Amino acid sequence: MLNITAYHCPTTISEAVALLAEEGCAVIAGGTDLLVNPRYMVGVREVVDIRKLGLDYIRHEENWLCIGAGATMRTVARHPEAQGLAHGVLAQGAALCASPNIRNTATLAGNVASALPSADTPPALLVLDAQVVLTGIQGERIVPLEQFFTGPGKSAREHELIRELRIPLDTTRKMGGGFYKIYRTAEDISIVNAAASLLVREGIITMAHLVLGAVAPIPLRARKAEEALLGQSPTEENLRQAAEIARDETRPISDQRASADYRRRTSAVAALRALRQAAGLAKIEEVWQHG
Amino acid sequence: MPEIEIALRVNGRAAQWRVQPGETLLEALHAHHLKGTKLICGTGDCCGCGVILDGRSINSCCTLAAQADGAELLTIEGLSQDGSLHPIQEAFAEEGAAQCGYCTPGFIMRAYAFLQEHPHPTEADVRAALGGNICRCTGYVKPVAAVLRAAEMMSS
Ligand SMILES: Cc1cc2nc3c(=O)[nH]c(=O)nc-3n(C[C@H](O)[C@H](O)[C@H](O)COP(=O)(O)OP(=O)(O)OC[C@H]3O[C@@H](n4cnc5c(N)ncnc54)[C@H](O)[C@@H]3O)c2cc1C
Ligand code: FES
Ligand code: FES
Repeated sequence: MLNITAYHCPTTISEAVALLAEEGCAVIAGGTDLLVNPRYMVGVREVVDIRKLGLDYIRHEENWLCIGAGATMRTVARHPEAQGLAHGVLAQGAALCASPNIRNTATLAGNVASALPSADTPPALLVLDAQVVLTGIQGERIVPLEQFFTGPGKSAREHELIRELRIPLDTTRKMGGGFYKIYRTAEDISIVNAAASLLVREGIITMAHLVLGAVAPIPLRARKAEEALLGQSPTEENLRQAAEIARDETRPISDQRASADYRRRTSAVAALRALRQAAGLAKIEEVWQHG
Repeated sequence: MPEIEIALRVNGRAAQWRVQPGETLLEALHAHHLKGTKLICGTGDCCGCGVILDGRSINSCCTLAAQADGAELLTIEGLSQDGSLHPIQEAFAEEGAAQCGYCTPGFIMRAYAFLQEHPHPTEADVRAALGGNICRCTGYVKPVAAVLRAAEMMSS
Protein backbone atom coordinates (compact mmCIF):
# COMPACT_ATOMS: atom_id res chain seq x y z
CA MET A 1 0.00 0.00 0.00
CA LEU A 2 1.45 3.34 -1.01
CA ASN A 3 1.33 6.25 1.34
CA ILE A 4 -1.19 8.33 -0.62
CA THR A 5 -3.85 10.22 1.31
CA ALA A 6 -6.10 11.33 -1.53
CA TYR A 7 -6.83 10.32 -5.10
CA HIS A 8 -8.36 12.93 -7.41
CA CYS A 9 -9.76 12.30 -10.85
CA PRO A 10 -10.75 15.74 -12.20
CA THR A 11 -12.66 16.15 -15.44
CA THR A 12 -11.37 19.60 -16.39
CA ILE A 13 -7.87 20.96 -16.85
CA SER A 14 -8.58 23.95 -14.62
CA GLU A 15 -9.56 21.65 -11.74
CA ALA A 16 -6.43 19.58 -12.34
CA VAL A 17 -4.05 22.54 -12.33
CA ALA A 18 -5.71 24.01 -9.23
CA LEU A 19 -5.01 20.73 -7.42
CA LEU A 20 -1.44 20.58 -8.74
CA ALA A 21 -0.75 24.06 -7.42
CA GLU A 22 -0.87 22.58 -3.91
CA GLU A 23 2.31 21.28 -2.30
CA GLY A 24 2.48 17.47 -2.19
CA CYS A 25 0.17 16.86 -5.13
CA ALA A 26 1.47 14.95 -8.18
CA VAL A 27 0.11 13.84 -11.50
CA ILE A 28 -0.49 10.15 -11.99
CA ALA A 29 -0.62 9.08 -15.62
CA GLY A 30 0.46 5.47 -16.25
CA GLY A 31 1.95 5.25 -12.78
CA THR A 32 4.86 3.17 -14.09
CA ASP A 33 7.42 5.53 -12.58
CA LEU A 34 5.38 7.12 -9.81
CA LEU A 35 4.20 3.88 -8.19
CA VAL A 36 7.43 1.99 -8.74
CA ASN A 37 10.31 4.35 -8.19
CA PRO A 38 10.26 5.80 -4.65
CA ARG A 39 12.11 8.94 -5.81
CA TYR A 40 8.91 10.18 -7.45
CA MET A 41 6.87 9.70 -4.29
CA VAL A 42 9.14 11.87 -2.14
CA GLY A 43 6.94 14.61 -0.70
CA VAL A 44 3.88 13.35 -2.58
CA ARG A 45 0.71 12.83 -0.57
CA GLU A 46 -2.06 13.24 -3.10
CA VAL A 47 -2.33 12.14 -6.71
CA VAL A 48 -4.22 13.68 -9.61
CA ASP A 49 -5.26 11.15 -12.24
CA ILE A 50 -5.36 12.81 -15.66
CA ARG A 51 -7.23 10.10 -17.58
CA LYS A 52 -10.55 12.00 -17.66
CA LEU A 53 -9.07 15.19 -19.11
CA GLY A 54 -9.47 14.08 -22.73
CA LEU A 55 -5.72 14.26 -23.35
CA ASP A 56 -5.22 10.88 -25.00
CA TYR A 57 -5.05 12.37 -28.49
CA ILE A 58 -2.49 12.58 -31.26
CA ARG A 59 -3.65 15.23 -33.72
CA HIS A 60 -2.64 17.90 -36.17
CA GLU A 61 -2.90 21.56 -35.35
CA GLU A 62 -1.73 23.69 -38.25
CA ASN A 63 1.86 22.60 -38.81
CA TRP A 64 2.24 20.75 -35.53
CA LEU A 65 1.81 17.17 -34.49
CA CYS A 66 0.33 17.42 -31.00
CA ILE A 67 0.55 14.48 -28.61
CA GLY A 68 -1.65 14.80 -25.53
CA ALA A 69 -0.44 13.84 -22.06
CA GLY A 70 -2.74 10.82 -22.02
CA ALA A 71 -1.22 9.19 -25.12
CA THR A 72 0.48 5.95 -24.14
CA MET A 73 3.69 4.48 -25.52
CA ARG A 74 1.54 1.92 -27.30
CA THR A 75 -0.54 4.63 -28.97
CA VAL A 76 2.56 6.56 -30.04
CA ALA A 77 4.39 3.45 -31.30
CA ARG A 78 1.42 2.46 -33.43
CA HIS A 79 0.48 5.86 -34.76
CA PRO A 80 0.98 6.07 -38.54
CA GLU A 81 2.18 9.66 -38.33
CA ALA A 82 4.74 8.86 -35.63
CA GLN A 83 5.85 5.90 -37.74
CA GLY A 84 6.19 8.07 -40.83
CA LEU A 85 7.98 11.06 -39.35
CA ALA A 86 11.79 10.98 -39.83
CA HIS A 87 11.87 7.23 -40.41
CA GLY A 88 9.65 6.72 -37.38
CA VAL A 89 12.31 7.77 -34.86
CA LEU A 90 9.72 8.56 -32.18
CA ALA A 91 7.65 5.42 -32.81
CA GLN A 92 10.85 3.41 -32.46
CA GLY A 93 11.78 5.07 -29.18
CA ALA A 94 8.28 4.42 -27.82
CA ALA A 95 8.16 0.82 -29.08
CA LEU A 96 11.49 0.01 -27.43
CA CYS A 97 10.39 1.28 -24.01
CA ALA A 98 9.80 -1.43 -21.45
CA SER A 99 7.38 -4.33 -22.01
CA PRO A 100 4.01 -4.44 -23.78
CA ASN A 101 2.19 -4.34 -20.43
CA ILE A 102 4.07 -1.20 -19.39
CA ARG A 103 3.61 0.42 -22.82
CA ASN A 104 -0.14 -0.07 -22.46
CA THR A 105 -0.23 2.41 -19.58
CA ALA A 106 3.03 4.40 -19.60
CA THR A 107 2.63 7.77 -21.31
CA LEU A 108 4.99 9.72 -23.54
CA ALA A 109 4.45 12.83 -21.41
CA GLY A 110 5.22 10.81 -18.26
CA ASN A 111 8.51 9.72 -19.80
CA VAL A 112 9.39 13.39 -20.36
CA ALA A 113 8.07 14.51 -16.95
CA SER A 114 10.20 11.91 -15.15
CA ALA A 115 13.26 13.50 -16.77
CA LEU A 116 15.50 10.48 -16.41
CA PRO A 117 18.75 10.68 -18.39
CA SER A 118 18.22 7.09 -19.58
CA ALA A 119 14.67 7.59 -20.88
CA ASP A 120 14.06 6.40 -24.44
CA THR A 121 11.69 8.94 -25.96
CA PRO A 122 13.34 12.26 -24.98
CA PRO A 123 16.26 11.75 -27.44
CA ALA A 124 13.78 11.00 -30.23
CA LEU A 125 11.64 14.01 -29.28
CA LEU A 126 14.73 16.23 -29.11
CA VAL A 127 15.91 15.38 -32.63
CA LEU A 128 12.38 16.30 -33.79
CA ASP A 129 12.63 19.74 -32.12
CA ALA A 130 9.70 18.98 -29.82
CA GLN A 131 8.19 21.52 -27.45
CA VAL A 132 6.52 21.00 -24.08
CA VAL A 133 3.17 22.68 -23.45
CA LEU A 134 2.88 23.34 -19.71
CA THR A 135 -0.35 24.41 -18.01
CA GLY A 136 -0.49 25.90 -14.53
CA ILE A 137 -2.75 28.20 -12.56
CA GLN A 138 -1.02 31.16 -14.24
CA GLY A 139 -1.93 29.83 -17.68
CA GLU A 140 -0.05 28.08 -20.41
CA ARG A 141 3.59 28.35 -21.47
CA ILE A 142 5.66 26.59 -24.07
CA VAL A 143 9.18 25.40 -23.38
CA PRO A 144 11.40 23.91 -26.08
CA LEU A 145 12.28 20.38 -24.92
CA GLU A 146 15.89 21.44 -25.45
CA GLN A 147 15.54 23.74 -22.41
CA PHE A 148 13.27 21.46 -20.36
CA PHE A 149 15.70 19.05 -18.70
CA THR A 150 17.88 20.50 -15.95
CA GLY A 151 19.29 17.40 -14.22
CA PRO A 152 18.49 13.77 -13.39
CA GLY A 153 14.79 13.79 -12.46
CA LYS A 154 14.77 17.60 -12.69
CA SER A 155 13.12 19.87 -15.21
CA ALA A 156 11.82 23.36 -15.87
CA ARG A 157 8.32 22.21 -14.81
CA GLU A 158 6.90 23.86 -11.69
CA HIS A 159 3.62 22.60 -10.20
CA GLU A 160 2.42 22.36 -13.79
CA LEU A 161 0.74 19.82 -15.97
CA ILE A 162 2.40 18.80 -19.21
CA ARG A 163 -0.71 19.15 -21.35
CA GLU A 164 0.91 18.03 -24.55
CA LEU A 165 4.12 17.62 -26.52
CA ARG A 166 4.27 19.05 -29.98
CA ILE A 167 6.49 18.51 -32.98
CA PRO A 168 6.88 21.00 -35.84
CA LEU A 169 6.00 19.23 -39.09
CA ASP A 170 7.27 21.69 -41.69
CA THR A 171 10.92 20.98 -40.87
CA THR A 172 10.77 17.42 -39.59
CA ARG A 173 8.77 16.03 -42.51
CA LYS A 174 11.80 16.14 -44.78
CA MET A 175 14.27 14.74 -42.24
CA GLY A 176 15.68 11.27 -42.05
CA GLY A 177 15.86 9.85 -38.54
CA GLY A 178 17.08 6.94 -36.50
CA PHE A 179 17.02 5.52 -32.98
CA TYR A 180 19.27 2.91 -31.45
CA LYS A 181 19.08 1.42 -27.97
CA ILE A 182 21.74 -0.66 -26.26
CA TYR A 183 20.20 -2.69 -23.45
CA ARG A 184 20.38 -6.08 -21.82
CA THR A 185 16.92 -7.61 -21.92
CA ALA A 186 13.77 -6.99 -23.89
CA GLU A 187 12.41 -4.56 -21.34
CA ASP A 188 15.43 -3.08 -19.67
CA ILE A 189 16.21 0.60 -19.42
CA SER A 190 18.88 1.82 -21.82
CA ILE A 191 22.56 1.37 -21.05
CA VAL A 192 23.02 3.91 -23.83
CA ASN A 193 20.63 5.16 -26.48
CA ALA A 194 20.95 7.52 -29.42
CA ALA A 195 18.60 9.38 -31.71
CA ALA A 196 19.58 11.23 -34.86
CA SER A 197 17.93 13.31 -37.53
CA LEU A 198 19.48 14.63 -40.73
CA LEU A 199 18.38 16.86 -43.54
CA VAL A 200 20.26 16.14 -46.74
CA ARG A 201 20.04 18.46 -49.76
CA GLU A 202 21.74 17.54 -53.02
CA GLY A 203 24.01 15.11 -51.23
CA ILE A 204 25.03 17.57 -48.49
CA ILE A 205 23.96 17.51 -44.83
CA THR A 206 22.28 20.85 -44.11
CA MET A 207 20.88 20.01 -40.65
CA ALA A 208 22.02 17.43 -38.11
CA HIS A 209 20.69 16.55 -34.66
CA LEU A 210 22.30 13.87 -32.54
CA VAL A 211 21.19 13.15 -28.97
CA LEU A 212 22.58 10.49 -26.65
CA GLY A 213 20.79 9.10 -23.60
CA ALA A 214 22.21 7.68 -20.34
CA VAL A 215 25.63 9.28 -20.86
CA ALA A 216 25.16 12.61 -19.04
CA PRO A 217 22.86 14.09 -16.34
CA ILE A 218 20.35 15.00 -19.07
CA PRO A 219 19.83 13.72 -22.62
CA LEU A 220 22.97 14.97 -24.33
CA ARG A 221 22.88 16.99 -27.50
CA ALA A 222 26.20 16.14 -29.22
CA ARG A 223 26.80 19.61 -30.61
CA LYS A 224 30.35 19.14 -31.82
CA ALA A 225 29.37 16.03 -33.73
CA GLU A 226 26.40 17.90 -35.24
CA GLU A 227 28.66 20.72 -36.37
CA ALA A 228 31.13 18.29 -37.90
CA LEU A 229 28.37 16.80 -40.02
CA LEU A 230 27.18 20.07 -41.51
CA GLY A 231 28.26 20.59 -45.11
CA GLN A 232 29.50 16.99 -45.38
CA SER A 233 28.06 14.22 -47.48
CA PRO A 234 26.36 11.47 -45.48
CA THR A 235 28.95 8.77 -46.07
CA GLU A 236 29.82 5.93 -43.70
CA GLU A 237 33.21 7.52 -43.08
CA ASN A 238 31.78 10.93 -42.19
CA LEU A 239 29.10 9.44 -39.94
CA ARG A 240 31.72 7.35 -38.17
CA GLN A 241 33.85 10.40 -37.50
CA ALA A 242 30.86 12.26 -36.09
CA ALA A 243 29.96 9.30 -33.86
CA GLU A 244 33.49 9.34 -32.45
CA ILE A 245 33.27 13.06 -31.76
CA ALA A 246 29.95 12.43 -30.00
CA ARG A 247 31.59 9.75 -27.87
CA ASP A 248 34.11 12.29 -26.65
CA GLU A 249 31.30 14.64 -25.65
CA THR A 250 29.73 12.12 -23.25
CA ARG A 251 30.06 12.33 -19.45
CA PRO A 252 28.77 8.94 -18.33
CA ILE A 253 28.65 7.44 -14.85
CA SER A 254 29.05 3.84 -13.68
CA ASP A 255 26.04 2.08 -12.19
CA GLN A 256 24.56 -1.42 -11.93
CA ARG A 257 23.86 -1.51 -15.69
CA ALA A 258 27.29 -0.59 -17.02
CA SER A 259 30.60 1.08 -16.25
CA ALA A 260 31.28 4.62 -17.40
CA ASP A 261 33.93 3.27 -19.76
CA TYR A 262 31.53 0.79 -21.36
CA ARG A 263 28.96 3.55 -21.81
CA ARG A 264 31.52 5.87 -23.36
CA ARG A 265 32.65 3.26 -25.88
CA THR A 266 29.18 2.03 -26.80
CA SER A 267 27.90 5.58 -27.19
CA ALA A 268 29.89 5.74 -30.46
CA VAL A 269 28.21 2.53 -31.62
CA ALA A 270 24.70 3.74 -30.77
CA ALA A 271 25.40 7.13 -32.37
CA LEU A 272 26.73 5.58 -35.58
CA ARG A 273 23.79 3.19 -35.90
CA ALA A 274 21.26 5.98 -35.35
CA LEU A 275 23.08 8.17 -37.88
CA ARG A 276 23.19 5.36 -40.47
CA GLN A 277 19.42 4.98 -40.21
CA ALA A 278 18.98 8.72 -40.51
CA ALA A 279 21.16 8.78 -43.64
CA GLY A 280 19.35 5.82 -45.15
CA LEU A 281 22.48 3.64 -44.98
CA ALA A 282 20.92 1.07 -42.64
CA LYS A 283 17.63 -0.72 -42.74
CA ILE A 284 15.20 0.45 -40.11
CA GLU A 285 13.85 -2.36 -38.00
CA GLU A 286 10.14 -1.80 -37.72
CA VAL A 287 10.08 -2.71 -34.06
CA TRP A 288 6.67 -1.17 -33.58
CA GLN A 289 5.12 -4.06 -35.54
CA HIS A 290 5.41 -6.24 -32.45
CA GLY A 291 3.40 -3.87 -30.25
CA MET B 1 -7.87 7.92 5.32
CA PRO B 2 -10.86 8.53 3.07
CA GLU B 3 -11.86 5.34 1.28
CA ILE B 4 -12.92 5.59 -2.32
CA GLU B 5 -15.84 3.75 -3.80
CA ILE B 6 -15.20 2.38 -7.28
CA ALA B 7 -17.59 0.66 -9.66
CA LEU B 8 -16.20 -1.73 -12.21
CA ARG B 9 -16.90 -5.02 -13.93
CA VAL B 10 -14.77 -7.91 -12.77
CA ASN B 11 -14.80 -11.05 -14.90
CA GLY B 12 -18.14 -10.08 -16.39
CA ARG B 13 -19.87 -9.16 -13.13
CA ALA B 14 -20.61 -5.71 -11.79
CA ALA B 15 -18.68 -4.92 -8.62
CA GLN B 16 -18.53 -2.05 -6.12
CA TRP B 17 -15.28 -1.94 -4.19
CA ARG B 18 -14.14 0.28 -1.37
CA VAL B 19 -10.44 0.96 -1.81
CA GLN B 20 -7.74 3.09 -0.22
CA PRO B 21 -6.18 5.93 -2.27
CA GLY B 22 -2.76 4.21 -2.11
CA GLU B 23 -4.02 0.67 -2.75
CA THR B 24 -2.75 -1.01 -5.90
CA LEU B 25 -5.12 -2.88 -8.16
CA LEU B 26 -3.29 -6.07 -7.23
CA GLU B 27 -3.85 -5.44 -3.52
CA ALA B 28 -7.53 -4.77 -4.18
CA LEU B 29 -7.85 -8.04 -6.13
CA HIS B 30 -6.35 -9.95 -3.24
CA ALA B 31 -8.57 -8.14 -0.75
CA HIS B 32 -11.57 -9.28 -2.80
CA HIS B 33 -10.47 -12.92 -2.76
CA LEU B 34 -9.16 -12.93 -6.29
CA LYS B 35 -5.78 -14.43 -5.49
CA GLY B 36 -4.93 -16.02 -8.83
CA THR B 37 -3.06 -12.87 -9.86
CA LYS B 38 0.37 -13.04 -8.26
CA LEU B 39 2.61 -10.49 -6.60
CA ILE B 40 6.17 -11.24 -7.69
CA CYS B 41 8.46 -8.25 -8.18
CA GLY B 42 6.00 -5.50 -7.29
CA THR B 43 7.93 -3.07 -9.47
CA GLY B 44 6.50 -3.58 -12.95
CA ASP B 45 9.47 -5.65 -14.09
CA CYS B 46 8.12 -9.18 -14.46
CA CYS B 47 4.52 -8.90 -15.74
CA GLY B 48 3.57 -11.68 -13.34
CA CYS B 49 0.66 -9.61 -12.01
CA GLY B 50 -0.85 -9.10 -15.46
CA VAL B 51 -4.59 -8.56 -15.87
CA ILE B 52 -6.69 -7.22 -18.72
CA LEU B 53 -8.05 -3.74 -18.14
CA ASP B 54 -10.43 -2.53 -20.85
CA GLY B 55 -8.94 -4.99 -23.32
CA ARG B 56 -5.27 -4.18 -22.64
CA SER B 57 -2.84 -6.29 -20.63
CA ILE B 58 -1.39 -4.26 -17.77
CA ASN B 59 0.58 -4.84 -14.58
CA SER B 60 -1.76 -4.65 -11.60
CA CYS B 61 1.11 -4.02 -9.16
CA CYS B 62 1.82 -0.60 -10.65
CA THR B 63 -1.75 0.57 -11.20
CA LEU B 64 -3.89 2.07 -8.45
CA ALA B 65 -7.18 0.34 -7.74
CA ALA B 66 -8.82 3.76 -8.06
CA GLN B 67 -7.59 3.96 -11.66
CA ALA B 68 -9.80 0.95 -12.48
CA ASP B 69 -12.98 2.86 -11.63
CA GLY B 70 -15.42 2.35 -14.50
CA ALA B 71 -13.27 -0.30 -16.16
CA GLU B 72 -13.89 -3.81 -17.43
CA LEU B 73 -11.41 -6.09 -15.68
CA LEU B 74 -10.52 -9.63 -16.65
CA THR B 75 -8.32 -11.76 -14.40
CA ILE B 76 -7.07 -15.34 -14.61
CA GLU B 77 -10.18 -16.43 -12.66
CA GLY B 78 -12.40 -15.15 -15.45
CA LEU B 79 -10.96 -17.19 -18.31
CA SER B 80 -12.54 -20.60 -17.83
CA GLN B 81 -16.14 -20.95 -18.94
CA ASP B 82 -18.63 -23.32 -17.26
CA GLY B 83 -15.86 -25.32 -15.66
CA SER B 84 -13.84 -25.85 -18.82
CA LEU B 85 -10.44 -24.30 -19.25
CA HIS B 86 -9.74 -21.58 -21.78
CA PRO B 87 -7.71 -22.89 -24.75
CA ILE B 88 -4.65 -20.91 -23.55
CA GLN B 89 -4.89 -22.57 -20.15
CA GLU B 90 -5.32 -25.95 -21.80
CA ALA B 91 -2.33 -25.36 -24.06
CA PHE B 92 -0.16 -24.36 -21.08
CA ALA B 93 -1.14 -27.58 -19.30
CA GLU B 94 -0.61 -29.76 -22.35
CA GLU B 95 2.77 -28.26 -23.22
CA GLY B 96 3.99 -28.45 -19.63
CA ALA B 97 4.54 -24.69 -19.76
CA ALA B 98 4.00 -24.20 -16.03
CA GLN B 99 6.57 -25.51 -13.58
CA CYS B 100 6.30 -23.70 -10.27
CA GLY B 101 3.40 -21.89 -11.92
CA TYR B 102 3.94 -18.58 -10.22
CA CYS B 103 4.47 -16.64 -13.43
CA THR B 104 1.76 -18.54 -15.32
CA PRO B 105 -1.26 -16.28 -14.71
CA GLY B 106 0.77 -13.33 -16.02
CA PHE B 107 1.87 -15.26 -19.10
CA ILE B 108 -1.66 -16.42 -19.81
CA MET B 109 -3.22 -12.97 -19.46
CA ARG B 110 -0.53 -11.43 -21.67
CA ALA B 111 -1.06 -14.20 -24.23
CA TYR B 112 -4.81 -13.61 -24.07
CA ALA B 113 -4.49 -9.91 -24.92
CA PHE B 114 -1.91 -10.65 -27.60
CA LEU B 115 -3.92 -13.39 -29.35
CA GLN B 116 -6.99 -11.14 -29.46
CA GLU B 117 -4.99 -8.82 -31.70
CA HIS B 118 -2.78 -11.36 -33.49
CA PRO B 119 -4.72 -14.60 -33.94
CA HIS B 120 -2.12 -16.11 -36.29
CA PRO B 121 1.28 -15.19 -34.84
CA THR B 122 4.72 -16.44 -35.83
CA GLU B 123 7.09 -17.71 -33.18
CA ALA B 124 9.03 -14.41 -33.39
CA ASP B 125 5.80 -12.49 -32.76
CA VAL B 126 5.07 -14.60 -29.69
CA ARG B 127 8.59 -14.16 -28.34
CA ALA B 128 8.36 -10.38 -28.78
CA ALA B 129 4.90 -10.29 -27.21
CA LEU B 130 6.09 -12.21 -24.14
CA GLY B 131 9.33 -10.19 -23.94
CA GLY B 132 8.39 -8.61 -20.61
CA ASN B 133 7.14 -11.78 -18.88
CA ILE B 134 9.81 -13.26 -16.66
CA CYS B 135 9.91 -16.94 -15.78
CA ARG B 136 12.54 -18.44 -13.52
CA CYS B 137 11.75 -22.08 -14.30
CA THR B 138 10.83 -23.02 -17.84
CA GLY B 139 13.44 -21.39 -20.04
CA TYR B 140 10.57 -19.95 -22.14
CA VAL B 141 10.55 -22.68 -24.80
CA LYS B 142 7.39 -24.31 -23.50
CA PRO B 143 5.41 -21.14 -22.78
CA VAL B 144 6.15 -19.99 -26.34
CA ALA B 145 5.07 -23.38 -27.71
CA ALA B 146 1.92 -23.19 -25.57
CA VAL B 147 0.93 -19.81 -26.97
CA LEU B 148 1.48 -21.03 -30.54
CA ARG B 149 -0.59 -24.12 -29.77
CA ALA B 150 -3.32 -22.00 -28.20
CA ALA B 151 -3.41 -19.84 -31.33
CA GLU B 152 -4.03 -22.96 -33.41
CA MET B 153 -6.67 -24.28 -31.02
CA MET B 154 -8.48 -20.94 -30.99
CA SER B 155 -8.56 -20.57 -34.75
CA SER B 156 -9.69 -24.12 -35.55
C1 LIG C 1 9.54 -2.39 -15.71
C2 LIG C 1 9.75 -1.02 -16.24
C3 LIG C 1 10.49 -0.86 -17.38
C4 LIG C 1 10.71 0.43 -17.90
N1 LIG C 1 11.43 0.54 -19.05
C5 LIG C 1 11.64 1.75 -19.58
C6 LIG C 1 12.37 1.88 -20.79
O1 LIG C 1 12.80 0.90 -21.39
N2 LIG C 1 12.58 3.14 -21.27
C7 LIG C 1 12.10 4.24 -20.65
O2 LIG C 1 12.31 5.35 -21.14
N3 LIG C 1 11.37 4.14 -19.51
C8 LIG C 1 11.14 2.93 -18.96
N4 LIG C 1 10.42 2.82 -17.79
C9 LIG C 1 9.98 4.04 -17.08
C10 LIG C 1 8.53 4.46 -17.32
O3 LIG C 1 7.74 3.40 -17.79
C11 LIG C 1 8.43 5.63 -18.30
O4 LIG C 1 9.21 6.71 -17.83
C12 LIG C 1 6.99 6.08 -18.50
O5 LIG C 1 6.90 6.74 -19.75
C13 LIG C 1 6.44 7.00 -17.42
O6 LIG C 1 5.12 7.39 -17.80
P1 LIG C 1 3.85 7.19 -16.85
O7 LIG C 1 2.67 7.64 -17.62
O8 LIG C 1 3.80 5.80 -16.32
O9 LIG C 1 4.23 8.22 -15.71
P2 LIG C 1 3.82 8.25 -14.15
O10 LIG C 1 4.51 7.15 -13.43
O11 LIG C 1 2.36 8.35 -14.01
O12 LIG C 1 4.48 9.63 -13.77
C14 LIG C 1 5.89 9.79 -13.73
C15 LIG C 1 6.27 11.15 -13.14
O13 LIG C 1 5.90 12.20 -14.03
C16 LIG C 1 4.87 12.99 -13.48
N5 LIG C 1 3.91 13.19 -14.58
C17 LIG C 1 3.39 12.22 -15.39
N6 LIG C 1 2.62 12.77 -16.35
C18 LIG C 1 2.67 14.11 -16.17
C19 LIG C 1 2.08 15.21 -16.82
N7 LIG C 1 1.30 15.06 -17.90
N8 LIG C 1 2.33 16.46 -16.37
C20 LIG C 1 3.13 16.63 -15.28
N9 LIG C 1 3.71 15.63 -14.61
C21 LIG C 1 3.49 14.38 -15.04
C22 LIG C 1 4.34 12.24 -12.29
O14 LIG C 1 3.86 13.09 -11.28
C23 LIG C 1 5.57 11.47 -11.84
O15 LIG C 1 6.42 12.28 -11.08
C24 LIG C 1 10.18 1.55 -17.25
C25 LIG C 1 9.41 1.38 -16.09
C26 LIG C 1 9.19 0.12 -15.60
C27 LIG C 1 8.36 -0.05 -14.36
S1 FES D 1 4.56 -8.26 -9.81
FE1 FES D 1 3.82 -6.75 -11.11
S2 FES D 1 5.24 -6.73 -12.69
FE2 FES D 1 6.14 -8.11 -11.29
S1 FES E 1 7.03 -21.57 -13.99
FE1 FES E 1 8.17 -20.96 -12.27
S2 FES E 1 8.55 -18.87 -12.69
FE2 FES E 1 7.65 -19.56 -14.49
